[in-house]
Amino acid sequence: MLDDRSRRYQTAIAVGTMLLALAMGYVALSIPSDAGYAGVGPNFLPWVVSVSLLLCSGFMIYEVRTGGFREMEEASSGDAHPFWLGFAWMSAGMLGGAALIDTIGFVLSCTLCFVFAARGLREAEGESLRGWKPWFTDVISGLLISAPVYWVFGMFLAIKLPGLTQSGWL
Amino acid sequence: MEMDVWNHLINGFATAGTPANLMWAFVGCALGTATGVLPGIGPATAVAMLLPITAKVDATASMIFFAGIYYGAMYGGSTTSILLNTPSNSSSMVTAMEGNKMAKSGRAGAALATSAIGSFIAGTFATVVVTLFAPMLARYAVQLGPPEYFMLMLLAFTTVSAVLGQSTLRGLVALFIGLGIGLVGMDQITGQARYTGGVPELLDGINIVLVAVGLFAVAEAMHVVLFEGKQIRHEHKLTRVTMSRADWRRSIPAWIRGTAIGAPFGCIPAGGTEIPTFLSYAVEKNLAKGSNREEFGTVGAIEGVAGPEAANNATVTTAMIPLLTLGIPVSNTTAVMLGAFQNYGIQPGPQLFTNSAALVWALIASLYIGNVMLLVLNLPLVGLWVKLLKIPRPRLYAGILIFSTVGAYGMRQSMFDLFMLYGIGVLGLVMRRFNIPSAPVVVAMILGPLAEAQLRNAMSIGEGSAMVFLQRPVSVIMIFVVIGVLVLPRILKKRGVVL
Repeated sequence: MLDDRSRRYQTAIAVGTMLLALAMGYVALSIPSDAGYAGVGPNFLPWVVSVSLLLCSGFMIYEVRTGGFREMEEASSGDAHPFWLGFAWMSAGMLGGAALIDTIGFVLSCTLCFVFAARGLREAEGESLRGWKPWFTDVISGLLISAPVYWVFGMFLAIKLPGLTQSGWL
Repeated sequence: MEMDVWNHLINGFATAGTPANLMWAFVGCALGTATGVLPGIGPATAVAMLLPITAKVDATASMIFFAGIYYGAMYGGSTTSILLNTPSNSSSMVTAMEGNKMAKSGRAGAALATSAIGSFIAGTFATVVVTLFAPMLARYAVQLGPPEYFMLMLLAFTTVSAVLGQSTLRGLVALFIGLGIGLVGMDQITGQARYTGGVPELLDGINIVLVAVGLFAVAEAMHVVLFEGKQIRHEHKLTRVTMSRADWRRSIPAWIRGTAIGAPFGCIPAGGTEIPTFLSYAVEKNLAKGSNREEFGTVGAIEGVAGPEAANNATVTTAMIPLLTLGIPVSNTTAVMLGAFQNYGIQPGPQLFTNSAALVWALIASLYIGNVMLLVLNLPLVGLWVKLLKIPRPRLYAGILIFSTVGAYGMRQSMFDLFMLYGIGVLGLVMRRFNIPSAPVVVAMILGPLAEAQLRNAMSIGEGSAMVFLQRPVSVIMIFVVIGVLVLPRILKKRGVVL
């Protein structure tokens, strides 16, 4: 039988799917139906998708109410308890890097993302992280990965990634 | 006709054999092997991350490169599934069952050898199938019209969502989410903006790179940090990569059977390697006798690695046929490769063999060359790749995030895309947690707009009536196939037949 926590989560997924379906249907109302010769216009597929998703979410709610989602992998690998602190570090790295990429350039923003994400992953593994040494090694590793990537893409493949300077090196 | 194929193939070898293209093939194979070996990053992700190179590198070179990554990853994936207790992708799961047991009892080397040689034999044979059948199918496929194409795509949607995977319901949810993602942007036929919410960045639609990299790489990194921190990875010891005479005697028939099972599965737009690999495993287990049979599930039976590995590679290679001749991808990676073709303004389909003959044949020739390269990379040099497994997890996944940034940002240098990448990563994390498969999302988002266009063209032919699908024989047959694919597995299951 489903424990309370899993039931809550699965209900949330089903309701989320339903809300998505309703939102898509609401938007579909305003898409013109002008079909020309085809009989189906640009609003046809949106309707198919939103109605189908609505049906799916109905079935999901039925499954939750009758014992939970069918044929789930056992505890789908890993801990049952999420390690939110690590996730917060990783998110901060990704979002911070994204926000700063146009200002501080590709190399530094990727290093920032690397250092924060690595911090989260180290915490998750339960490493002891005293002092400046882990920070230092992560900064160096991050630079050693992102700088060559920047050079290869910028110089050989002519993919313009933003730099801190105009030199093409940083 | 036969001569024609031969001439084309020789021209293909001439193109693929130029130093520059050989270099692309080699780098692709090496990169593919590396992505196969590394947990947390698969061929679909690797190809997606590198899609921005299509802006600069010419079409032939980059398709050779991507194809190298695509089947290189299959070789590399088996190395990890034999040596590590966590397989790196679903198609290696079967290999992991017996391969892991063999490694545990000190026979890792034999398992690696039989999987590399089996992959080579199956891959080469399947490439011959591609060479002979793809042009034939293309000649036939020219006659197909929009109604037939729409039905073929419907078949691909059905198999990828309702047949593969554990739950039909969750498969369908994934399919419709993918179709929904594909809807965002300008409608191809009328130019009508849909689901853009007035955001200019969304007018071009959501790029396949964001979805593939977000769902696979970013979601994987998030899953690791949230749930897998305390999980201990156990690595088996690598032994000398050789096979005894008895190993050969047991492997050869298994390779042949695996190839025979795998090759047809790739040809039909109903892909996925899960079914042929499991089927091959079941066949080998049933055919084994005496002490060999007792090795299954205990110390590890070599047939149980040889057969499924051959089946896997045969399927993966012949999956190029529906991709090239019909433009219908049935796996994550082929879907992303279709995206690469589209970046060049090339729409794979029957015309590809006439309009872009040089490219197609160079690609096919590179499959032969790549298989030889991979045999070398994976037999004598396997020890090199195994070192990749020593990269500590924090640095591996943090590094993957850097490459994700390159892929997402390299497309059009937009900060918006990076935030979107994060959002899609969270979506992928939730889907993974609740066992909602991601392959249908990727296939549906890339195939959805094409299917919609075919549907509307078909309806135009029928002057607005859906009867057009019932008036054409091939289309009617396809409808029955779709129904069969939906109904048959359920009947078999009820009767207690286990695949």
